[in-house]
Amino acid sequence: MSMIDALTGNECVAEAVRLCRPDIIAAYPITPQSVVVELLASMVADGKLGSKVVDVESEHSSMSVVKGAAMLGKRVFTATAGQGLAYMYEPYFSMSTMRFPMVMTLACREMISPGTVWCGLQDALSVRDAGWMQVFCENNQEILDMVIQGYRIAEDHGVLIPINVCYDGFYLSHQTERVELPEPSEVDAYLPPIDLPQYLDVNEPAIVDPNTVGSFLIRYREDHLACMQHAKSVIADANREFAARFGRDWGGLLGSYRMEDADYVLVTMGATTGAARVAVDIMRERGLRMGLLKLRFMRPFPDAELADMLRGRRACAVIDRSVSFGWDRGVLSVELAAACGAHGVELPVLSFIGGLGGLDLRTEYVVRAAEMLADAPAYLKDGAYWMNEDFLGEELGK
Amino acid sequence: MNTVDYLASREDLVSPGISACQGCMAELSLRVLLKCLGRKTVLVVPPGCMAGAGVGGWNKSMGVKVPCAMPQLGNSASMLAGIKAAYDLVDPDVHCVAYAGDGGTADIGLQALSAAAERKDNIIYVCNDNEAYMNTGFQKSGTTPHGASTSTTPVGSLGRGKLNFKKDVPMMLAMQNAAYVATLSPSYMADFVAKVQRAAQIKDGLVYLHILNPCPTGWGCQGSRSIALGRAAVRSRYFLLYEYRDYRFEISAPTRAVREPLDVGEFIRGQKRFAHLAEADIDEIRRVVQQRWDKLSRLAAE
Repeated sequence: MSMIDALTGNECVAEAVRLCRPDIIAAYPITPQSVVVELLASMVADGKLGSKVVDVESEHSSMSVVKGAAMLGKRVFTATAGQGLAYMYEPYFSMSTMRFPMVMTLACREMISPGTVWCGLQDALSVRDAGWMQVFCENNQEILDMVIQGYRIAEDHGVLIPINVCYDGFYLSHQTERVELPEPSEVDAYLPPIDLPQYLDVNEPAIVDPNTVGSFLIRYREDHLACMQHAKSVIADANREFAARFGRDWGGLLGSYRMEDADYVLVTMGATTGAARVAVDIMRERGLRMGLLKLRFMRPFPDAELADMLRGRRACAVIDRSVSFGWDRGVLSVELAAACGAHGVELPVLSFIGGLGGLDLRTEYVVRAAEMLADAPAYLKDGAYWMNEDFLGEELGK
Repeated sequence: MNTVDYLASREDLVSPGISACQGCMAELSLRVLLKCLGRKTVLVVPPGCMAGAGVGGWNKSMGVKVPCAMPQLGNSASMLAGIKAAYDLVDPDVHCVAYAGDGGTADIGLQALSAAAERKDNIIYVCNDNEAYMNTGFQKSGTTPHGASTSTTPVGSLGRGKLNFKKDVPMMLAMQNAAYVATLSPSYMADFVAKVQRAAQIKDGLVYLHILNPCPTGWGCQGSRSIALGRAAVRSRYFLLYEYRDYRFEISAPTRAVREPLDVGEFIRGQKRFAHLAEADIDEIRRVVQQRWDKLSRLAAE
């Protein structure tokens, strides 16, 4: 029987980790994730969590410690954000390409420079091609649920790929929401027992991660990509069984809202999705058939699923909390265009970039974007609209 | 049992035929280290001479007969800490050992090493100090000595080799109160073996073993001279053999036996990396060698 509690996003991470009972935790505090590390330390200090905590001096070490522990087939956890993820990049890439499954949560943070500690999805999205799976959460319940689902998906023997559970820093990490907290026994029944490949056995000596010739390495990459594609069905199964057991269906790769007859589609990620739901309702009240697609998994990217959902619609608008340097668009906008191109879907796409550096991605902004979407041919242009402080004034005065 | 008989009785856990240079002391030190520690050992070897020489294996076969993981250059200590944390749940008696070069230790890996010492992770961290990044072509490291010509501190119309002095990593770890710190030379095998045996018994924190391994290729001398060079390094007090445990320094027998030290010039001469040094430069090295000896003597007398 679930317990109902009021928890911040960071508290949800810690509670979920307690329920998943990793063998070894190594994490280094960084704003806005620090509370996760503090809470896990408290749980261990209070005897509520039996994990071994290795209190490291940096993110490079946190990922290195859990990588070492993963070599013996242990369940491990870490968490970081922003600069910490950047500092961790070297073992981060190696963790995924060694195919060691784990969950790492990211309280997403804008990247420096200029100096910032506030929200943005730039940290996670900048490493989307480092071999990890990445899921983005809309609210605190989804964070808690996806940490639990994350272990199941990552540890599936047909996947064996680590996963980032990503959530908007401050907006979710520090905001309190109503959350249903499952019982440990329920989570135990959902998560299979830990059964992971083990290396470094002194009775069966082997070399782990030696220099590898390209003719082997390319096969590892082929396999990694194939397993990433296979993960799509594992994600769907994990979601289905989770929904059956816990009553919450997050949609798997993609979430959707009022899409059945939608002519116009807003596409969002993470916490912005909440404002987009409001915008869709407002536009529906005005008689416009608008719907919402919430991209949950950036990796594996649901290219076919997204293209299928967009096929036959009149136009879509993508709202990004990130930029793709070199494109005049945000990351999701670029990825969506690639998916549509690959699957022969042609429709007008408006791109919006907002909410950088903790800037509030206000509901009014999203509503305005929805209004522009409803009149898409008039607003088509190369590049993105910037949801800065001039956005409403300039566009409304148009 | 004397050292020769002891080593003869132990299994060689480094495969024959790894491709270290002629006269490589890092290979000899690794062989002896693993002979002493035995098969219940997990090895971590970052990029460097020993990885380059084939410890990581070749043609689908292994360079060592114990499990061996290859970390990145800067995370030997942290990755090994994770391996140890996991092994503590499986078999706490397995030795978790890093064999890293001086660059991977004194430079890019120092932060992770210091943190592991602070946490009292029960790992054995061995620094193979050959005083530069020898595997990749003699680039300067934090332990390259003053005056040495390297490929990144070259001698030229203005360049005079490395300007600064060697970073003293074993003393740093001692000042941090690592569980056990020792300096070792393969030229003094009885002392070497005794220190590894003692290291294997330490269960209350991080063991740091710092081995000065003469490198004929990088230092610019004949391979047949490396044992003699290691001996000259000790006899001139260029390299001091000592142990540290529980806030106590103890000067080791080979260094204690040096009553009339060899002139440092005797150690330096015949090494190509020092060939450009003038007598004044050597005087500067003599001065620092004396200061280090004075400091250690005072510490050991306390």
